Amino acid sequence: MPKAEMPSGALALLILRVLRSGPLHGYAIGQRIHVLSAEVLQVEEGALYPALQKILLKGWVTSEWGISETKRKVRFYRLTASGRKQLEAEISGYQRVHEAIRTVLRTA
Amino acid sequence: MNELFRRLRYLLNRRRFDQELAQDMDFHREMAAREGRQNFGNPLRLREEARDAWGWTWIDALFQDFRYAARTLRKSPGFTLVAILLLALGIGVNVAAFGFFNLMVLRPLPVRQPETILHFERRAPGNFADNFPYSEVRFYQAHSRSLSAVLALNFDSLVMEGEEKPLHAHFVTANFFSELGGGPALGRVLDPVRDEVLEEELVAVLDHRFWERHFAADPSVIGRAIRLNGKPVTVIGVAGRKFSGLGLDPPDLWLPISQCAFFSKRKQAQEDFSGDGMQVQMWGRLQPGLRPRVAEQELSSLAKELHAQHPNDTWKDESLLSAHGGRAVTVRSEMYPFLGMAGALCVLILVVACSNLGGLLLARGVTREREIAIRVAVGAGRGRLIRQLLTESLVLACLGLAAGMALGSIVLRLLIAWTNLPEWLSAWPDWRVTAFAAGIGLVAAMLFGLTPSLEISKQRHRASLLRKLLIGAQVAASCMLLIAAGLLVRALNHAIYTNPGFEYRQIISLDPRFRGYTPDQARSYFAALRDRLRNLPGVESVALASNPPLGNRWTVITTEIGDRTVDVHINHVDPSFFQTMNIPLLRGRNLARGDTRAIIVSESLARRQWPAVDPVGKPFRMGTDNYMVVGVSGSARLVSPEDSDAVEIYQLADADLSPMVVMVRTSAPPEGMLRPVSAATKAIDPLLFPDVQLMKDSFHAKLRLSEYAALAASVPGVIALLIACLGILGLVSFAVSERTREIGIRMALGAKPSHVLAFVIRQFSFPIAAGLVVGMAGAAALSQVLRRVLYGISNLDPIAYLAALGVFAVAVTLAASLPAGRALGIDPARALRHE
Repeated sequence: MPKAEMPSGALALLILRVLRSGPLHGYAIGQRIHVLSAEVLQVEEGALYPALQKILLKGWVTSEWGISETKRKVRFYRLTASGRKQLEAEISGYQRVHEAIRTVLRTA
Repeated sequence: MNELFRRLRYLLNRRRFDQELAQDMDFHREMAAREGRQNFGNPLRLREEARDAWGWTWIDALFQDFRYAARTLRKSPGFTLVAILLLALGIGVNVAAFGFFNLMVLRPLPVRQPETILHFERRAPGNFADNFPYSEVRFYQAHSRSLSAVLALNFDSLVMEGEEKPLHAHFVTANFFSELGGGPALGRVLDPVRDEVLEEELVAVLDHRFWERHFAADPSVIGRAIRLNGKPVTVIGVAGRKFSGLGLDPPDLWLPISQCAFFSKRKQAQEDFSGDGMQVQMWGRLQPGLRPRVAEQELSSLAKELHAQHPNDTWKDESLLSAHGGRAVTVRSEMYPFLGMAGALCVLILVVACSNLGGLLLARGVTREREIAIRVAVGAGRGRLIRQLLTESLVLACLGLAAGMALGSIVLRLLIAWTNLPEWLSAWPDWRVTAFAAGIGLVAAMLFGLTPSLEISKQRHRASLLRKLLIGAQVAASCMLLIAAGLLVRALNHAIYTNPGFEYRQIISLDPRFRGYTPDQARSYFAALRDRLRNLPGVESVALASNPPLGNRWTVITTEIGDRTVDVHINHVDPSFFQTMNIPLLRGRNLARGDTRAIIVSESLARRQWPAVDPVGKPFRMGTDNYMVVGVSGSARLVSPEDSDAVEIYQLADADLSPMVVMVRTSAPPEGMLRPVSAATKAIDPLLFPDVQLMKDSFHAKLRLSEYAALAASVPGVIALLIACLGILGLVSFAVSERTREIGIRMALGAKPSHVLAFVIRQFSFPIAAGLVVGMAGAAALSQVLRRVLYGISNLDPIAYLAALGVFAVAVTLAASLPAGRALGIDPARALRHE
């Protein structure tokens, strides 16, 4: 399985992004990123849970109890209003940086 | 802000959130396994890493460290006890000293709004005073707009019928109590409505302590008349127990200042603006929101206005200066060196205690070698080790701090009780003392904890040079303090217990305390008194002196002899003075009537000024005038018996006798003569209330004061000695436990007890000896400095050195032999199984 290094700070952005379409539990977040990246990005526990704790502290997501597809009681993470705003800001910031990097790569 | 709030929620519900996190991660693994993927890695460690995001890991580590430190300390109670004692001494001394400073200087008096009270002094070119003519104060009272109230106080002593000692009375403005918020304990206090103007009836308010002492707290005294200076005065109330007034010396009673003229002959007091009128201390309460500077400027301009109205009586260009009035003592710049020295002494003691404890910790590091090695082996980093060791020091510091604060408060309480300070002073530590103590504790923890932690964490403690240095340094410092104390005590004792050079046992001194006498009236009064006294049976001789021996006043001029300035005590006396006081005339002649330019010098002055030459006939210059020496008297330390370097000059009493004091020498025991002598003065002027004292009493009072001084001087030395003993006791007992096995082997192989002892103590003998030598050298240097500050100290007094060294040697030997004796009790069979 091909593995790629996650750029620092990108993980939070991706977590917020996959939560935009609805609440997910921790494992599903990792899976969704994995699938959506065409199996390029692999999010390990050791990175996912510290990032989630940070995001929880910032108040960008909240957690609530739900039932998983395997009928287990687990925590689902839901994007908050401030999380939505943060996501917008991070996406536009990311695009600006991305554009800038591409310009440099093209011209230099 | 929100994030902080959430962080705190995570701290408070740590257990629940941790469980939820664990559940999440378990589920994650479960799901991953279901899809055929295996996760590796320690789940606990992964969880800890996730939890780090909450930012509270350090608290857990801290609690862990504290718990561990508490356990380690509990496991070695001997060490812990010694360490706490050391710190308690070091911190306690500082807490007591700062507590006293706080009480005297920092803490406001228990009066209403003490921070807005100002105390005033007056200054003019060439003039300075801290009291004012009352009339001037009334002028300010009437015209000042920056002060909401003006308070004035004039103190005097009054004689109460049936009392031998005169009472201490404060004449105060009628607003004194209401402005300071002092209510009565009984009856009423002075109030501005009823006591502002002089009434027919004279009234007084009693001090609470005086009421208890003198009237046995009898409530029926209210409304009763007492006789003061022969006048009936009605007691209207008793002041509250906690009422402090505006200083540290509460009077026996308070009277309205309007009555002052009644007790004094200066009837014109209220209208007199000159220095002859009634003199009072002045305070003012600042209007809300104003700065003291504003009041100073306003009053200074009022002073100029007053000068324009009364140009002859008031000072030209007078300006007023204010200082904090709401505190017991105001620090003046001349007190700085003394405060600095006292502070340095306290800090030195703390440093000795801390370096001592540092040595102990270092020694302990040896016994903990295995523990430290294991911790390093299981992955403790150096930072983590240092943190753990420092936490241990912090726990010790906290315990020592608690003990030190308790000790300091007790010392302060005893000090207040012994020195008879007023009751409203509380030894209980306030926030300033607590903050100071906490700061000191923290500094101490750093001082004694840091170096050993660094050394131990490097696992390099076998290098015992630092340990030896620490022992040597503290021995030197404590030895120095002890020798200095010995020098001080010896010097004081020497001065006190040698003959002061004059007769004091059989002398009664009598200060007539004239009120409004002209020089002529004073002259005839003394003539009459002398006649009456001479006719009393039991009186041997009578003399006059301007500065009575051991009294509270003196005249000093400063002159230069060689390259040194010397304070010379000047005394105006009559010719019978030398015979009355039993001061021998060694050369030349006595003073005689009509001698205006003749002086008699003391032998101590003659020896310095004219060494090896006969001083009689020599000129001597004082100020702008030339005098001639006509005689040399024996040296007499008239003013301060502890100053063995004192020198005196005697002049004939001049025309104005009003400041003179009478000395009466009796052949009978002087106690029995007090009453007839007082009666003799009453017969001449019944309106005067002279102060009659046994000189013996004054002498003993001075002696007591010097004894207190000697006691205070020896305290730092004794504490340092105690600390050194504790430290050496701790070190030797460590040396014993560290080498238990070795001692056991030696004993099993037949070593004699004396060999074992020598073996244990030998490693300390060199640092102790070196410390002693350095300490003695330091003491010699220190005494050079001391000699410049305190005269009469001989810097190489062999007895002081020997005594200090002897005490030190005995104490240290005892301290060392206690644990060393334990080495002898070691059972070889058990020692070999040790560890």
